[in-house]
Amino acid sequence: METFLAALFSGTSRGAIYALVALGLVIVWRGAGIVNFAQMGQAMFSTYIASTMITNGYSYWLGFIVAILVGAAMGALLDILVMRPLSNKKKTELLSSDSMRAAVPVIASLGILGVLQALAGIIWAAEERGFPAPYPQEGFTVANNVMPFTSFDVFVISIVLATLLATTLFFKKTGVGLAMRATALNAEVARLSGIRTNFTRSLSWGFSGAASSLAGLLITPTSNLSPNTLDLVLIIGFTAAVVGGLDSPAGSVIGGFLVGMVISFVSFYDTPEDVFLSILSVLLLVLIIRPRGIFGAKDARRV
Amino acid sequence: MLEVKDLVTSFGSVVALDGISFTAHESKITTVIGANGAGKSTLLRTISGLEHPSTGSITWRGKSVIGMRPEDIVRAGIAHVPEGHAVISELSVEENMSMGSLFRRRKFKSDVAAAQDEMYELFPRLKERRKQLAGTLSGGERQMLAISRALVSRPQLLLLDEPSLGLAPLVVEQIIDSINILCRSTGLTVLLVEQNANTALGVADHGVLLALGKVVADRPAAELKADANLRAAYLGY
Repeated sequence: METFLAALFSGTSRGAIYALVALGLVIVWRGAGIVNFAQMGQAMFSTYIASTMITNGYSYWLGFIVAILVGAAMGALLDILVMRPLSNKKKTELLSSDSMRAAVPVIASLGILGVLQALAGIIWAAEERGFPAPYPQEGFTVANNVMPFTSFDVFVISIVLATLLATTLFFKKTGVGLAMRATALNAEVARLSGIRTNFTRSLSWGFSGAASSLAGLLITPTSNLSPNTLDLVLIIGFTAAVVGGLDSPAGSVIGGFLVGMVISFVSFYDTPEDVFLSILSVLLLVLIIRPRGIFGAKDARRV
Repeated sequence: MLEVKDLVTSFGSVVALDGISFTAHESKITTVIGANGAGKSTLLRTISGLEHPSTGSITWRGKSVIGMRPEDIVRAGIAHVPEGHAVISELSVEENMSMGSLFRRRKFKSDVAAAQDEMYELFPRLKERRKQLAGTLSGGERQMLAISRALVSRPQLLLLDEPSLGLAPLVVEQIIDSINILCRSTGLTVLLVEQNANTALGVADHGVLLALGKVVADRPAAELKADANLRAAYLGY
């Protein structure tokens, strides 16, 4: 029973973070039709900036806020400096076929991931370092039993839930949110409605960058920080997004929690070494049985 | 006044518009008719900035719109309802409609709601279905929604691409009537593209007949409608 509860709690807290990563991927996928492999590279980079600030005596919270802002700016810049120019090159020979048009931005994102990791290695040395948590990571004590649930877990779950709630309200209730959804769903109709789609698309990239930086800040206290630590998180987040359905933000969040549970139960009941194997099995299984994910749009939409 | 001069638009080696010139007068309905593939939709898409012409000019009230982005052309007062009941199925009726006036929220705050109310008055069926997803609407209702989305941007020129496509005759009549009333009562300028020439010429003031990317006739609608030779040669009835 205790193991079960421990797995459940840890799965919720981990799942919340993967939900953020998946949400970031889904928002860019819907807005730009690109799986952004550089996403956790951006998160790694901004987490390093927070780490540097904190070790230089600035408060955790200042580093936290700066990292999220840097994450947002990096996302938007990535779109403005790389992705938009690439998509404007439609008439060149390189991008003459549909498959190349779809593949080239994805390859570009992989290139950016490489550049960010190399840069981080040069600036901060490619060795692991710790990253602080703002709240204690010791379990609560109830009737002399140490519970597998920490104040930091409470912090992670509440900040992620608050972010998800704020995001939902933003997309549903504000004009800018509506403009972003319209751009993602049908850019041509959006433009004909007077929506500046270049701007809203960059906003989506910025939003995704901020969400993944938050995920980076929340996950590094329980792992460590190095230029490559977040690679695995990207793969897990990608699995979560595919499980939920790449074009469904709500699905990606549920997918994140599901994948978090799988990871947690595998590492508690089996061994942590099998986590990666189990994630890839889930990904494979979903792709074979239900390629559009649990909440993905019906094929009918893809006319 | 919309003035199109020597307009050429091509897709690779295919020339869709081959030197088109015509004028659409203010507060009138001008219809562009012609067979499938004559270049009607390309003409509207070029005017609204979705396609880029290789040569020629398009001016609206003396100002060129060539090179402007579609979103800025809408803001300049030219709204385009593209072919195929262009609404976003995953958004609600209300959201689809307010999309068209998002850019007016700051400057014309009080008018945004008024413009939407006018649309609900013009098409009461949309009001009943305000909260429904646009994907659940019938073809006719979707067309009404697409037109409303364009009209809440308060355009001076409305580009309407085949509103009758795939709709029952009764619904077509209702939509065409609404456009007619709107044009006559508010002074809206309409450029109506139709394959259904009879309906279009019945309501329009002026008609432009296209064939293979060229203008073959440019006359008052009534004259065009009466010309049996042209009809037989280009419209096949």
